[in-house]
This record gives sequence, structure tokens and C-alpha cells, in this order.
Amino acid sequence: MKRYNRWDLLFARGLQRMMRNPKTKFDEREFVTKGSDYLFNYAEKNVGPIDEGRRNFMKALAIGVGAAAVAGLLPGLRVLPAPGVGITKFPKVLLVDSSGSPLKASTLSVNEPIITIYLYPLADEPNFLLNLGDASNKPVQVQPTEVTIPQTGKNYTFPGGVGPSKSIVSYSAICQHLGCEPPEIHFYPPSYMKLGMPAPAELTAEALLAAKQANAPGVIHCDCHGSTYDPYHGASVLTGPTQRPLPYVELEWDSTTDYLYAVDEGGVPVYGHTSDLTGGNPLSGDTSTVTKTINPFS
Amino acid sequence: MGLDELPFFKTPDYMYKVNYWLGALVASAFIYAVVSGLVLLLYYNPADPYDQTQYIINQVPYGSVILFSHLYAAYAMILLAYVHMFRNYFVGAYKRPRELVWLAGVILLVLTMGASFVGYSMVGDVLGVDAIGVGEGILASFPGGAVLNAIFFGNGTTQDAFSRLLAWHIILVALLGLFFLFHFFTAERYGIMPSRKVKSEVPAVHSKEEQSRFNAWWPRNFIYMLSLMLMTWGLILVVPNLLANVNGLPLLLNPHPAPSPSSPQAASVPAYPPWFFLFFYKIADFLMPNGQPYPPFGALLVAVIIPMVYLLLLPFLDRNKQLHPFGRKFWTWVGVMLITYLVEVSVWGYVAPGVPEPFPAQVKVLLPPAVVAAIGVFVMGRTWSKRKVNVSPALPKQTGPSPSTTFGLVVLGMLAVGTVGLAINDPTVPGGAAATVLFLAFIAFARSFWRHPSGTVNHKARITLAETVMAVLFIVAVVLAFNMWTVPSTGPQSSLFGVDLGALLLMLGEALSLYHYANYAVKTT
Repeated sequence: MKRYNRWDLLFARGLQRMMRNPKTKFDEREFVTKGSDYLFNYAEKNVGPIDEGRRNFMKALAIGVGAAAVAGLLPGLRVLPAPGVGITKFPKVLLVDSSGSPLKASTLSVNEPIITIYLYPLADEPNFLLNLGDASNKPVQVQPTEVTIPQTGKNYTFPGGVGPSKSIVSYSAICQHLGCEPPEIHFYPPSYMKLGMPAPAELTAEALLAAKQANAPGVIHCDCHGSTYDPYHGASVLTGPTQRPLPYVELEWDSTTDYLYAVDEGGVPVYGHTSDLTGGNPLSGDTSTVTKTINPFS
Repeated sequence: MGLDELPFFKTPDYMYKVNYWLGALVASAFIYAVVSGLVLLLYYNPADPYDQTQYIINQVPYGSVILFSHLYAAYAMILLAYVHMFRNYFVGAYKRPRELVWLAGVILLVLTMGASFVGYSMVGDVLGVDAIGVGEGILASFPGGAVLNAIFFGNGTTQDAFSRLLAWHIILVALLGLFFLFHFFTAERYGIMPSRKVKSEVPAVHSKEEQSRFNAWWPRNFIYMLSLMLMTWGLILVVPNLLANVNGLPLLLNPHPAPSPSSPQAASVPAYPPWFFLFFYKIADFLMPNGQPYPPFGALLVAVIIPMVYLLLLPFLDRNKQLHPFGRKFWTWVGVMLITYLVEVSVWGYVAPGVPEPFPAQVKVLLPPAVVAAIGVFVMGRTWSKRKVNVSPALPKQTGPSPSTTFGLVVLGMLAVGTVGLAINDPTVPGGAAATVLFLAFIAFARSFWRHPSGTVNHKARITLAETVMAVLFIVAVVLAFNMWTVPSTGPQSSLFGVDLGALLLMLGEALSLYHYANYAVKTT
């Protein structure tokens, strides 16, 4: 025979109390249709060790812990963006040739058709090195000038050319439209400023017209979508679709040694970078090699 | 083993036609892409992707076969996804109770495009590097763009970019797999969309009682599905490995990568994206009515976000109970316009990439098809509205064509498309004549394909024919298998291995299809 203890008695009296209480009345009709399931559920709910109010409170506590776990997790999402890489200020970099000896400014040929590139200030920021001349290949003095950014309407000052004839300039070699790089974007010397050339030397009539109107003997033109820049006037925009001029690299010419240094960069940020100093690996050492690789006109 | 008790949808006899199984074709392409991608993963090097790609093509045994077929598996998956989506659009499969299936499907489409963009950029050729540049520029134009770029493309260096792209490619493909499982099991819940002849109104679901009389999944469904899968895999292997041997194939179709970004040839490659993004690329050329170009976000909105939102909301916008396309004319018209614009703007993007298009040019190209389609849909739909309704409770008869006819039609179709394409690209008189002949033959063959056979069919003769074809396939397959051991594993001739393997899979798929036809589909009287 089963032994009953006082907990059973307390339970029975509690159950009776609940059944008689009009607020938690026991529905006999439901008991008849649903049977013992109804009775057990009723007992569990009203007389069982679990108090609904307390249960809800504990649910709230558990959800609170869950919410705290999610909130605490959120800073962890910082793992996703890669940590930035770059430098803090513009270095002074000596331009050297492919054998490592310093490049002499007087050895730069005027209106060179071969694409001449060096990296500055980061390893993913190539720049053109240009010695600009007129149609008869005599060096042209490139004056300091105000350059307008069509996208914002603002201006900035381009410091002008350096070197013995003040004809040496340098601009970013990444097109400001959608980021095409050489050999898709390159300098067109005056002798190649004509129509009917085969790719990659072809120019659009629009580009030629705009160059003539701006008195630019040559242009920097991007074959991808036709953006044209005027290197004689700070790489300002001659034709779209670009809405920004090319950034310029400020060069310094040492007249005693004939060496060239890259010291600063100005204008809009290089394409694909929020600032010229971040978003790429720094150069190693304080020199940058000038490479002449591809002749797009041959 | 109890395989026939697995809870997969039982299929009625009339559903053993490929247009009820388009989803299986997409899944087959996906599975092939995953397997070939895992093999490529063994060899990918983010420090120098272009050289590594060349290494895979030239030095790794059958590397070119795996690489080219991986690319074409992705192409096939996107193309088949469009076919699958538009077929279900026009039969109304997005309506109650299948809304969740459709939503998962749209998400799958977006994930597929994303994974394809990343995969395409990972090669590191000039087009891939350009694509990364374009992606970085678009992200930078959003608020918080610098952080977005740091998440998706890394810290700005090329090595970081390619390591990240590899990771994102795998993450996106994993998400694809998860959403596919969700899509598949929600589809299984209500079963394949029945024919309009049986259920012409929403909800178009076969009841449990009807389903209990259908064919169990094992073995009939499994055999049929396997045959479709193998034929898809076969085509994915055969096509690119054949095309790899064609000299001077345009980059759009060429399985070979474009030149390296630092090579002189890179300058003569016009910058354009792979074919499935041409429409987006061209919309980015559109100018506003005032002549200014749209900001990058504007092109994204028009080309991607608005169509995507439309597709996601479609089950809740079109509450019509009618399933026939003419019973919901407006939505049918939108669907026709989506396909038309997709094709039209893509072709435009191929013909004039990067050329800015002023507003009047856009109107000239986009408005006439819209008007013509609207008139067409509404005029043709009016006669349908007046038809007599005659729904029969009996299931349609199994009057589909035999698998050998289907196969012949597919081959003929591919030949027709190929020669027509070549004739357009490089017009010559014999080329044009061949294209015209094949095209007309395809049309004629296709028409007889759908005409219902009249009179009694000699079942025994058909079974014997199937058996004969299977025997021939067996012999050819064995001979081919021996040959495959002697094909050089590297070099341009290794593509022959891909063609042979593809042919072998096609033959296996065809053999299974014939087996299915002879043993299940043909009901001997």
C-alpha cells in the first residue's frame, strides 16, 4: 500500500482550494470530454510547484541574459574589417633607376612615349613621371595653376613643374573614374595626338578637341571609358566620364646633384584610397624605382 | 533499405518532363561547381593569383579541364537559374502556399551573382582586377564605405584583397548551400507545381490522398533525376573544353582568362564585366535627363535593388487566384519586360561598353518593347478570357517525347545557337547558310516535338529501340574510357580529356534516361 506523507496531503488540500476558487474554477464539462489530460494539466498549472508568475519572471531573466550575450558579442564583429595599413606622413623619397643609382633629371627624355612609372607614397600607388614638351619636343615650363574638381566644384593649387626647365611633373597613374591602371591609362605625347591609331594608342575625337581648346599639346587618356586629363595644367579634367582630376605628386629637384625627390601628394585622394597614406604597404627604404616598361605606341 | 519510404515528394507520371525539373538542373550545376571548386581550392594562391591560374592551366594534370568547367558550371548555374525562375514566374509557382520557396529562391539568385562576381575576380586577370576596382569604387560611394571596403576587399593591398575574396567566395557558397537546403525542403513540403490542366487555381497542391497514388521517390525519381544531373554535368564538361580550342573566341565566352593586368596586351582589352553583369554595367552608363551621370548607387538601385524588391514582394502583390499567364496580365507583362530588358541591355552592354547613354537613347531602346509587349499580352489575353472553362479531374496522359528525341533536340539547338552566334560575330556566306539551315531545322524539329502523337504507339518497338541505343552507348563508353587513359594530362590536348569525360557523362545520363523510359515511362498495353 502506498505511503502518503504530508506533502501529498498539502497537495490534495491545495487542489481542493483551487478547484473551489471561482477564479481558477475546475471545469467539469471539459474534464468529461478531455479526461485525465485536463485534470493533470489543471493540477500542474494551478497547484504544481511552478508558479506562472515566477516562471514568466525567470523567462524574462533568461532572455535578459541572452540579450546581454548578443550585446556583448557585437564588438567582436570588428574582426571583419581588415586592420588598416599605411604610414602617417609623406616621406621624402629619392627616385632611382632600375640599377639602383639616382635618376638624373636631365636624362629624362622630353615627351617620352614609353610608360614611366614609380610608386609613391605606398606600394599600390603608381605615378607617371613626365617631362613635358611642346609639339617640337622642346621642354615646356608648367606653371602653377588652380585645378577645379568637377564633382565638388572646389579648387586646389597645383605647384607646377620642376627640373632645369620646370617641365617635369608627376601624377597618379590610377584613373579617377573606375580605377584603370597603365597600360590602359597613359600619356599621349604631342606626336601621337591624332585619330585613327590602333588600340592601345587610340584617342577619341572628343579628347582631341578638348585638348586643343585647353592648349594642351598632349594628354593623359584612359582607354577604359575615355577619361582625359591635361598634364600641362595639373592633370585637370578635359573629358569625362571622370569627375575628378588626377592627384599630383609634388617633386623636388636638387639643382646641385640633378636628383629628383618625391615629397608630397595633393589634389583628391588616389582612387581606391580614403587617404593617400593608408590602404597599402609602405615603400621599403627611402628610394623608389622608376620603371619604363611598355610602349603603347609601338 | 527502406529508401522508398524517405519523405520526398512522390511524382505523378506526367511530371517526368524536364520542365518540371529545372530546379534539379540548377542544383546539378551548383554541385559540379562546388566539387570542381574544392579541387581548385587545393591550388589557389592569393599571393599571386594570375601566375597560379596559369600554373593550374599548364602544369597541373587536367587543371585546365577543372578550371574551365568550373567557370562554365557557374555560367550554366546562372543561366539555368534564370530559366527556372522565369518558368516558375509564368506558371505562378510563387503563389500560395509556395511563397517561402520563392523568397528563398530570390535570395539564392542574389547569392549566386555575388559568389560569381567574387569567383570571377579571384583569377587576377585584367578584367578581374578591373572588377575589384569597380567594386571598391561602388562600396566607397556608400556611407561608411571605408569600413565596407575593409570588410570585403581588405586593407587595400592586392594580397589582402585576394585572400579576402577567397574567403568570401567560400562563405557565399556555404550560404548558398544552406539556403538551397531551405529552398529544397520547403519545396518538398507542397511538392512540384502541378500542371495547369489538373489544378488551374490557387492553391495548386496535390492532396495527400492523390499523392499516395504517385510514384515513390526511390527508384523512379532518383533514376530520372540522376540522368538529368549527369547530362548537365556532361554538357558543363564538354562545352568549355571544346571552346578552349577555338582560337580568337571573344573574352565573353572564352574559358581562358584575360591577359595579366601588367602585360602590354591588357591595354587592348576593353573593360567589361562577365556576361551576367553586362546589364548592370550598361545601366551604369545611363545619364539622367539633365545629362549628368547617375551616382553609382543610382545604377545599383535601378539595375539590382528595384527588381530584387519586386521579385521578393511578388507573392504578396499578385494575390490573383488565376495561374494562367493571361489570367494575370499585368504581372505577365512585367515578367516579359524583365526578360526582354535583361537580354536587350546585356547585348547593348556588350556592343557599347562604357559609352554614356543620354536619356533620349534610353527611351529609344527601352520604350518600344514595353509598348509592343503590353499590346501583345493584352490582345492575346482577351481571347483567353473568353474561353470555356473545362477542368478535368483526370491526370494528363504521359505523352511526352522520348529521351532520345529530347537529346537530339538539345544537340540541334546548341548547334543552331552556336552557328548563329558565329555567323553574327564573323559573317561569311557559308557560315550564314549553315546557321540558317540549322536554325530552321531546329524550329521544325521543335514543333514536331510538341505535337501529340496520333494513333497507337508500338511500345514493344520503342523498348527494343531504347535497348539497342543503350547497347551502342555501352560499347562507345567502354572504348572512350580506354582512350581517356592515353590523353596527355597537361598542355592544350588535355582539354580532350574534358570533352571525353563530358561525353561519357552525357552517355551515362542518356543511358539512364533510356532505362527510365523503357522500364517506367512506357506503359505496355
